[in-house]
Amino acid sequence: MNEHLRSTAVEREPAPPTPWGAADEIATYLAPRSLDAALEALRAGPVTILAGGTDLMPQSKTGRARFHPTLMNIRRIPELQGIGEASGMVRFGALATMTDLLENALVRSRFNALWQACDCFASDQLRNVATIGGNICNASPAGDTLVPLLVFDAHVVLASKADGTLATRTVPLRDFLVGPGRTSRRPDELLTAVEVPLPNERFVSAFYKAGARPALDISAISIGVGANPAAGALNDARIAFGAVAPTAIRAPRTEATLEGRLVAETIEPALKAADDEISPISDVRASAWYRRELIRNVLRGMLENVGQC
Amino acid sequence: MNDTAKTGSNGSLIGKRIPKKDAPEKASGKTRYIHDIDLPGQLHAKILRSSQVHAKIKSIDTSAAKALPGVHAVITAADLPWQRPIGVAKDHLPLKHDKVRSPRDEIAAVAADTEAIAEAALKLIKVDYEPLPAVVTAEEAMSPDAPRLHGDDLIAPGPDGKPHVVHQASHDNVAMVFQYGQGEVATGKAASDAIVEDVFKLHYVTHCCMGVSGVIAEFDASENLILYSNTQVPFLHKREFAELLGMDPGRIRIVQPPIGGGFGSKLDIYPFEPIAIYLAKITRRPVKLVFTREEEFIASPTRQPVLMKMRSGCTRDGVLTFREVETIHDNGAYTSWGATTPFVMMQTISSLYRVPHCDYRTRAIYSNNPYAGSFRGYGNLQATFAVEAHMDRLAEAIGMDPLEFRLKNAQDPGEVTPQGMHFKSCGFKDCLSVAAERSEYQEKRRANEARRNDGNPVKRGVGMASMLHVGGGAKIYPSDGCGTILKMDDFGRVTLLTGASEIGQGSETVLAQLVCEELGLPLTSVNVVNNDTDVTPWDVGVHASRTTFIAGNSAIGAARKAKDKILTAAAAKFDQPAEALDTRDQCIVEKSSGKKLVELAKFIRSLHFSDKAELVMTSYYYEPPSKHQDKQFRGDVSAAYAWATQVAEVEVDTRTGIVKLVKITGAHDVGRVLNRLGIEGQIEGGIVMGQGYALTEDLIVENGVIRNPNFRDYKLVTAPEIPEMDVVFVETMDGEGPQGAKGVGEAPAICVAAAVANAIYNATGVRITALPFTPENVYRALHSNSQPPTWVAAA
Amino acid sequence: MSANVSIAFTLNGVAVRATVPAHQSALEMLRDELHLTGTKYGCGEGECGACTINVDGSSANSCLLFAADCDGRDVVTIEGLADDKLTERLKQSFVTHGAVQCGFCTPGLVMQARHMLDKNPHPGHDEIKRGIEGNLCRCTGYKKVIEAIAEAGEASNLEDAR
Repeated sequence: MNEHLRSTAVEREPAPPTPWGAADEIATYLAPRSLDAALEALRAGPVTILAGGTDLMPQSKTGRARFHPTLMNIRRIPELQGIGEASGMVRFGALATMTDLLENALVRSRFNALWQACDCFASDQLRNVATIGGNICNASPAGDTLVPLLVFDAHVVLASKADGTLATRTVPLRDFLVGPGRTSRRPDELLTAVEVPLPNERFVSAFYKAGARPALDISAISIGVGANPAAGALNDARIAFGAVAPTAIRAPRTEATLEGRLVAETIEPALKAADDEISPISDVRASAWYRRELIRNVLRGMLENVGQC
Repeated sequence: MNDTAKTGSNGSLIGKRIPKKDAPEKASGKTRYIHDIDLPGQLHAKILRSSQVHAKIKSIDTSAAKALPGVHAVITAADLPWQRPIGVAKDHLPLKHDKVRSPRDEIAAVAADTEAIAEAALKLIKVDYEPLPAVVTAEEAMSPDAPRLHGDDLIAPGPDGKPHVVHQASHDNVAMVFQYGQGEVATGKAASDAIVEDVFKLHYVTHCCMGVSGVIAEFDASENLILYSNTQVPFLHKREFAELLGMDPGRIRIVQPPIGGGFGSKLDIYPFEPIAIYLAKITRRPVKLVFTREEEFIASPTRQPVLMKMRSGCTRDGVLTFREVETIHDNGAYTSWGATTPFVMMQTISSLYRVPHCDYRTRAIYSNNPYAGSFRGYGNLQATFAVEAHMDRLAEAIGMDPLEFRLKNAQDPGEVTPQGMHFKSCGFKDCLSVAAERSEYQEKRRANEARRNDGNPVKRGVGMASMLHVGGGAKIYPSDGCGTILKMDDFGRVTLLTGASEIGQGSETVLAQLVCEELGLPLTSVNVVNNDTDVTPWDVGVHASRTTFIAGNSAIGAARKAKDKILTAAAAKFDQPAEALDTRDQCIVEKSSGKKLVELAKFIRSLHFSDKAELVMTSYYYEPPSKHQDKQFRGDVSAAYAWATQVAEVEVDTRTGIVKLVKITGAHDVGRVLNRLGIEGQIEGGIVMGQGYALTEDLIVENGVIRNPNFRDYKLVTAPEIPEMDVVFVETMDGEGPQGAKGVGEAPAICVAAAVANAIYNATGVRITALPFTPENVYRALHSNSQPPTWVAAA
Repeated sequence: MSANVSIAFTLNGVAVRATVPAHQSALEMLRDELHLTGTKYGCGEGECGACTINVDGSSANSCLLFAADCDGRDVVTIEGLADDKLTERLKQSFVTHGAVQCGFCTPGLVMQARHMLDKNPHPGHDEIKRGIEGNLCRCTGYKKVIEAIAEAGEASNLEDAR
């Protein structure tokens, strides 16, 4: 009999304080046309930031996200637009869409893993709208662009006017992501851009997302690999994983195992290190066990490929 | 490509690529589905569902919801003491009064000025529950001390208004049982040289119609009910709604706007429909109720999940000896059509191949899980999955080529099976041979097997499966008829009023085509009316692949009557025997010479205005001339049967468990191709639906709760995943079928999963007996990290 | 209740003004306020593509777009392409190829295909498959949809040659 006596309550989101949900939460809507105006608004009080809206809209409709009293649409701020390169640093404006990245020649030629991640991001309709800044701030452990951006040592640029004057700080992406859906952005800060050092021309990178379809899928796991291969060895080896930890992560011990050595000789210890570095959970998309198996099997193939470059 | 028929003038329309009549409107976004219809004064309704899997309802407080401005009505079961049950077993009250048995259970409903107000009002309803232990597996439900889902008689007012027991208490949680047998299984076992046994587990999937469920209910000033409904069975539901509401059926009119997908999901009445009607009655306003996608996942029926134990045997010469099958169907909390799928499953078990001895027992067991309805294929995907796995396994056991083994046991035309099904037209063996040849099945199977243990982590496999399904209607109800009224106007245009519903499958086009073929008219001169029970004649409904066959024959009959009438009149006028005349190219012609005598429209006008005032309206009613099955399920269930063989080719990545469906080669006995474009669309769509069942779709139910009620985690097949599809038609010209055609709507979905299972085995040497073949499930099976399904101990 | 936002935008070539609740989606505005019902609700989460519209020359899921964000933009729905030659060719191709069954996903597919042909006038089958990967169809199995789009692309090829 005891085995029947399990809890029968359906786990659902807690009811919002008013019956109106999202419809009752937004007191003010702003669509500033300058960074300065946006930062002033952020300084004034709690703000929900809207960029592409592709995550915010469904989250708010289902009650998974709540609005602050001010909804601020940042899509009309010119300072957040564009993709450009200056003295070896590539700057992606926070509002650059996945389509913008896919169509950018520099991304295509020098950031293969990022291009691949954008290519298998959701669908064309979403790629046209979803922004790189939004994907980062949403901080999903399975966020598609996070893994390649970690591989490329991306930094995020945060602007604020905490004391009335413009202040910016630059934070490594790996420090910016602090938990599922959580970042180290202060409430008065705006992510304005992502900066990525331009890798040298020999740097190769690849991205893999587990799934039976090319896109429209939330990955069970994802892997980013980057390195300067030389005669079967990897220099500057960089490994990142998605959906196997509370955030997308770099795997420094795996990288250290590989660094400068022949892939063929270090692959087993590297896989062992990777297995130690990940901490997957079981959910509706995959079990922890399967995630570990995927990381091991797929990483092996990716390392072998890079080793042959 | 260019044989797209625009007029009847270049000969027969049969077999041509005829575009759907409703396609231009649909492609332009002009078609008004139920979601797009708003009536003046309309209110919006929302339903409060249970927050518990299994609980007593202690109290419901609706006062705050009622007080919300814009709310017109809040109802609970207490407001409706006259509620009567719905469903196949009448065990289901639309609004629950004593307890909830699943999270989909309807507790209260609100009608308000806007959806947002209705939604807000729901959140103000307070329900006090007393939780009960949940029963979330059939195994638990069958244990002697399991809580009873329906442990009390359900009492509701009968036609006399007095309380009656409308559903008797179930003291063992058994909802429904079926048993069928032929021959003596013991004899078959004794004659067997090889016997195989497996337990198969078939999972939950759901229809995912792109248009979510919805209804609009309205009462006119004289208390007549007008229901705008997505139903697939308007005439049956008219009667059921009448019983449910204690109304005269004659006062119910069902209007069917174009429907955003059916696939069997709309064969039963679900609580939201009576709830909208109650609210319309109480508020005296039109009430519209439309689901969200999440609600569609939670509160729609599923395909029947099945746990099946099957034992099969054959002689060393490859002759099947017996088949012994037992199934447990998780019935969920209430009984809908899913519980009756054994009716179809037994046909495949007993009669897809010749099996002299057969025993089939099944029970549907109540639980706190979702309940299953009818879904394209109706149990046959599940039965075929197991039967075709055993065809491969037996062939291997005796060392025979699986194609040869199948050919040896396949049915022939003229066969009357021990179950009593009469296969008048049967292209099964042709399907087997053609599919095997076109796909190079035998060569590939051997080559793949030889490569199984090479170093390549990606394995290739080929697998075959076949199916038998009703193709000439289904005698489930006392009548399987369909009425047609055919009206010709004095410009030679036809209005065809048919009981048959269009649900996207193309019935109105094929019916128009059949009428044009008879009358020598271009397709543009036929208008089909099929969406209003006040206007159209009776029909059983759109299910069981029956519409082309039944409604088609009915339409042909009506067209022939019209033609007879016209030619009889023309015979008098032109002083020739009627048999010497014909209608062709919108004219009356001499049959032998083709000489045009008069324009059809002109002649019809002359009839209208003659002193006999012959108006050329006609009607015809068709009932296929076959008997019903007896109580032991012996006899025909259909006037004709459809056959098909599909060969699946897969790639299995052993590193990830990802199975890629590369190609499906299908050979389908369809009787005859009527509309090539339409039939290709049915087959291709069905194959991809079968692909979803096999590989991607998995409605995850944990402890009674659906964990993935969205398209993010319930994965329909997307365009990049579709296989190459090579479909060929075997035309057996069924003697009873309209122009020789048989029904085909369900057939293509049925054997995909079975063929894929055999292909995975061919690729890897691993036999997986549980669906779906999602990457993790396959990976676990390949790496021995999963237990094959086991039979229920308590059974 | 939510703040209301006054917006002005171009809808199907016509300047319109609207006042929308800040949380409202473009899909809700189009269907419920402006009565353009060719854009369909299929999931509300950007997973099915039935609500695909075109905004500033790019396809988007209207269910994910805040109505307020339409301010100043150029919005086109299936109704707005009634006179568009390429859309006409696409629709005709959908009809003659049997790419329409229940039709509920079709306007979204036509909108997405129209955008695809804008960017790539003569797509191959694999490119089309990727292009419509965000549009779910439960009836057709996509094959005829892919063929219909391919032929519309080929037809525009012929026209270019003339």
